[in-house]
Amino acid sequence: MALVHKLLNGTYILRKCPKPSAAMCPFLGIRFADYCSSSLQKTTAPSKTSPQRKTGGGLQGHHQKEVALDITSPEEELEVSFDKAIRDEIKDHFRHLKDEIVNHWIGPEGRPLHEVLLEQAKVVWQFRGKEDLDKWIVTSDKTIGGRSEVFLKMGKNNQSALLYGTLSSEAPQDGESSQSGYCALISRIPRGSFARKRSYDWSQFNSLYLRVRGDGRPWMVNIREDTYLIQKKNQMYCYFMFTRGGPYWQEVKIPFSKFFFSNQGRIRDVQGKLLLDKISSIGFTLADKVDGPFFLEIDFIGVFTDPAHIEEFAYENSPELSPGLFK
Amino acid sequence: MSWVQAILLARGLVRGWGGVCGAALMGAPFSQVLPQAPQGLHCSAAAHKSKWSLVPRPPESRRRPVKALALHEELFRQAPGGERDKASFVRTVQNFEQHNVHKRGHVDFIYLALRKMREYGVERDLAIYNRLLDVFPKEVFRPRNVIQRIFIHYPRQQECGIAVLEQMENHGVIPNKETEFLLIQIFGRKSYPMLKYLRMKLWLPRFKNINPFPVPQELPQDPVDLAKLGLRHMEPDLSARVTIYQMPLPRDSLGAADPTQPHIVGIQSPDQQAALAHHNPARPVFVEGPFSLWLRNKCVYYHILRADLLPPEEREVEEIPEEWNLYYPMQLDLDYARSGWDDYEFDIDEVEEGPIFAMCMTGAHDQTTLAKWIQGLQETNPALAQIPVVFRLAGSTGELLTSSSGQEEPPPPPPEGQEEDDNVQRQQQSHS
Repeated sequence: MALVHKLLNGTYILRKCPKPSAAMCPFLGIRFADYCSSSLQKTTAPSKTSPQRKTGGGLQGHHQKEVALDITSPEEELEVSFDKAIRDEIKDHFRHLKDEIVNHWIGPEGRPLHEVLLEQAKVVWQFRGKEDLDKWIVTSDKTIGGRSEVFLKMGKNNQSALLYGTLSSEAPQDGESSQSGYCALISRIPRGSFARKRSYDWSQFNSLYLRVRGDGRPWMVNIREDTYLIQKKNQMYCYFMFTRGGPYWQEVKIPFSKFFFSNQGRIRDVQGKLLLDKISSIGFTLADKVDGPFFLEIDFIGVFTDPAHIEEFAYENSPELSPGLFK
Repeated sequence: MSWVQAILLARGLVRGWGGVCGAALMGAPFSQVLPQAPQGLHCSAAAHKSKWSLVPRPPESRRRPVKALALHEELFRQAPGGERDKASFVRTVQNFEQHNVHKRGHVDFIYLALRKMREYGVERDLAIYNRLLDVFPKEVFRPRNVIQRIFIHYPRQQECGIAVLEQMENHGVIPNKETEFLLIQIFGRKSYPMLKYLRMKLWLPRFKNINPFPVPQELPQDPVDLAKLGLRHMEPDLSARVTIYQMPLPRDSLGAADPTQPHIVGIQSPDQQAALAHHNPARPVFVEGPFSLWLRNKCVYYHILRADLLPPEEREVEEIPEEWNLYYPMQLDLDYARSGWDDYEFDIDEVEEGPIFAMCMTGAHDQTTLAKWIQGLQETNPALAQIPVVFRLAGSTGELLTSSSGQEEPPPPPPEGQEEDDNVQRQQQSHS
């Protein structure tokens, strides 16, 4: 696991997710590990040069020799860095483990307890450098054969992140999808030592705070809880984020009680509130069925306690749709 | 049955099966492949309906130059001189019902009508959806015993009903009591369309009015009105004033829409006016744009007039005068905090950007139009005459521009040719 990580330049393995069902609602935020950055191109570059060298060959023997050369040389290069990569990786992991054990004595996540307990506003994701962008993944409906494009880059003066692209609701001609046109920005699941999945604990807070600048399009914010169980793969809690458009920064405050439960892109009948103690990732989806370019600039994402907000959960269950709950 | 009927039935079956195979190979909805069979041979009419018939028609394959009409499509043919609107749609539905007392092929017809609704402009009309649901024969598809209820009774019709409701949901139409009554009459209370109706009735009203910045459904067609709506939408200050600096030429004078005189609509609030009056004339102001704003499904572009942020040493510190009377203080700090240990501030420096002085929306995005806007602004802001104005405009459309001083293009799309017009208008030029 660790070696493959290092070989792929520290990116995650492509997980082939099952094809979404035909009744796919555009609000799908299925976790695809997709790449729109240039890191993938770097890894395929050495393999691309070998076919080029092959076509230059003349005689059969010469051709075979060239093929042999092609096969051995990348391996040799890799072998040189292989051990070192493994050693570095192991050292990193042990260092993380040591940090975790030491931090446990100081307090949760290495911060003293009084600071954590009294905290009322916390910045969870900020965009002040290139390394902050690595914590996010961008997906679009290209994975199912659509035509939308989406890219993520740092905004002006390295002070914000700009998510931009083109949405195209042209359905892919694969005979089973009738709708298409979505793009998503998903945060990576936080990892601890030895690539274990970690989760965020936001039980102290009750609202999400986003400082964004959009172009008037409605977005959807999805929060995924701890993904330990495979059955919860497509379950997430969603709510809408309406951008105003314009050159002014917009503060969006969404209380966690407003998030509704959805599975596989459909709102479910049995609704329960979002539990904040194990949050694994957050995502932004755009699927408003309007073709055209879009952009969203994000300054930072934080969570805070709104003392005036006392609502626990905004949606009641209906006895007609879920009679089992009302017996 | 007689030999004539047998032959006709056989021919219909062969055609039907061929159509099914053809559809399976091409992936096209079945209803398109079946040619116009006579009424008595609808043996396979309801056989292979798929709920994916809502797919917009796939592009015609090259081996078939003549477009095969879907069943009942001739009903939707435009009457000569008639226009496609609600009345003609209703008339088409009535035609279908009159020609077909037994409503043969009603599922096909309903799918076709759902596809055609957008052309007639009635996709958000609840009465039309109810009229379309009325096409279903009543009381026939209701399950009568437990076994029929367990196995989905008349599945194709139920899927068709769900497709109608799904299109309503996609367009945000909330069904009413009439829809409920129709669904009960057609499918019964324990059917899937009824379940979908209950879900729509529960969730659509919950999300109907959650947009804090609502945009009207019917956007104005006139570009000046659209510009005014867009500018008011963006500006949070309610005391801002919208000014129309230039109206477009009336359409009948030129064929095209005003190439020489586009509309210019600007907005400025009193605070921005005061800030511009206090602006240091040694520092330039920039006209940046065009940026995109989406109103429902229309994209409009706007420009802004802004200045760069003052470096910290030049920022003037507001002097807080000494309090005269503690019982009637001049500065009242009513913070959210309840006591000393409350701290709702985020531990991050927010992105600071220079002040924005005005915004405008124009028909053309070139420098001459924006220069006219600046001239118009000078009437209400005489200080602008002294301040140098730098135009930082993007190339063709440039919707994805970030207002950075370097003006980087996004790397993956091919870099468009940018014109960076740095035209500095001096005081003499502004008087022209």
